[in-house]
Amino acid sequence: MLLKWQVQRLLHQTRHSLAAPSRNPRAAVVLGRLLGIAFIITFLTGLYSHFIQEPLPWMVFLTRPIWLYQVSQGIHITAGILCFPLIFAKLYTIFPELFQTPPVRSFPHFLERASITVFVASSLVQITIGLLNTYQWYALFPFPFRQTHYALSFVIIGSLAIHIALKLPVIAQYWRKRDALTADGHLVEHATEPEPQRQDELQRLTGKVQNAGITGRIFEWIDRSPTLPPQTSRRGFFATVAVASAALVTLTAGQSFRVFDATNLFGARKNDTGPQGLPVNRTAKRAKVLESATAPDWQLTVSNGASTKSFSYEELRAMPQHEVVLPIACVEGWSQYATWKGPRLKELIATVDGDPSSTVRITSLEQGSSYAQTTMGPEFVRDDLTLVALDLEGEPLDIDHGYPARMIAPARPGVLQTKWLSTLEVLS
Amino acid sequence: MSITTAPEPVLARPMTTTRRWQTGLILFGIAMLVVGAIVLLNDVAPKNYIGIAIWFLGALVIHDGIAAFAIFGVSILMRRASRKIPFVVIAILQGALAIAAIFFVIVVPAMLKKDIGSANTSILPLDYGLNLVLFYAGLAVVTAAAIAGYLVVAARNRSRA
Repeated sequence: MLLKWQVQRLLHQTRHSLAAPSRNPRAAVVLGRLLGIAFIITFLTGLYSHFIQEPLPWMVFLTRPIWLYQVSQGIHITAGILCFPLIFAKLYTIFPELFQTPPVRSFPHFLERASITVFVASSLVQITIGLLNTYQWYALFPFPFRQTHYALSFVIIGSLAIHIALKLPVIAQYWRKRDALTADGHLVEHATEPEPQRQDELQRLTGKVQNAGITGRIFEWIDRSPTLPPQTSRRGFFATVAVASAALVTLTAGQSFRVFDATNLFGARKNDTGPQGLPVNRTAKRAKVLESATAPDWQLTVSNGASTKSFSYEELRAMPQHEVVLPIACVEGWSQYATWKGPRLKELIATVDGDPSSTVRITSLEQGSSYAQTTMGPEFVRDDLTLVALDLEGEPLDIDHGYPARMIAPARPGVLQTKWLSTLEVLS
Repeated sequence: MSITTAPEPVLARPMTTTRRWQTGLILFGIAMLVVGAIVLLNDVAPKNYIGIAIWFLGALVIHDGIAAFAIFGVSILMRRASRKIPFVVIAILQGALAIAAIFFVIVVPAMLKKDIGSANTSILPLDYGLNLVLFYAGLAVVTAAAIAGYLVVAARNRSRA
């Protein structure tokens, strides 16, 4: 029984020591709003990226603006990185709540604490694995990244909704500055929990005062530390979050947005690096296509039911060539514009009487990849900008960029811009 | 120092707008959790669940058990230092340390992974270690300038008074 009161006193003293001016409900609400917006943005852009890769049968996607996927996924990754300072700051404001006494007051209180535990753990894991995925550090994950990241996104949004619901009265009280702070900058205190009595239960039972023992003396020492003025402390806290967030965007977003390229110190990718000045994800060596892609008898086979036609590299070059400027935009968030040249996809499938508004199955020479075979919907197939590209920046494709021929289409993720083409099949 | 605590979470009284929002959000939240569970069961093999659980536990232990207390320790030292150093200088120093820590968390994994090796040279192409040192040097300069600026203004205000 004494242990219970010892733990309770320890929790109370810890919570009391952790109190700080910026650890208050108003700060939690302000940061919660920003974090909530960042989570919703990453969730929606993440869903877009998921479904454009694995569309449901009825789904149709926009092919304009050509930068739609580039911007959507760039925002996904940048907002994900921005979540780091926001979530650290949010957790800082509520950290003393971890030491509530008693830890569980009722069943609803247990459910609330359990939902917050799931919310915090899944959020921390989600942003960490997302960041590590852009570094391609898969060896750290004892689980498949893409599927886990997708499942956790629903867990986060679900536990966020429950968290908002349970905290709604507090959120409403501290939503507006004029309701949350007094004219002289002090926090308006609404209903608060009563402080446990100074004469706590342990003291009543044993006579042991609060500042007794090593822990008691440590807490007393902490209590004697001067406190910073609330307003200076709060302003410093929010200024820190703002500067950290702005610096992170400025120094990492260059991988997704050219405007930040000059200040890209920490992005996982850098524009103008890689073969032909363009980054690469999967190399020819890793895709095991070094021999098959350079074989002299390579042909691109185009089929529509029983009708089949094979094109040599020279025959593809003899077709009308079109030049387009399109971004290659990776699911990992990096992107870069490039000039591509080659025959239009719809003109190629027309040689086997394929309708421009067909779905086309695209097969690569690459080995051991779940993206070796992909399907392209009619909205992309009939688009004038969708090419079977042979040239990049006025030169034949580098083998790491898909030589002899690759797909390039507007507003489509890089992983679906199939390299080292082998066959194109008109499906419908 | 007083503790400002949020009221105990309770559902608002029936028939209020708040209660309706709460109910709707909770139902939506449960639906999303169910979707997440279904996706997990369908797309992730059961042998991986223990790995996910270890990551969840690890995240909580590293954040709540280690990082948050380390930050608390630093803030106590700062509070004690405020006996001799002006409050604003302490606040600026704390902010700079927090920013340095956040960049450490983001950049050091990139540095380590680059050392281990990447699938090709266009992945992690930058010199992250050097850039982090440069960033910290810049942060130190800006911090020093902010402190100097504050001290000059404070001294001017004192002399006017």
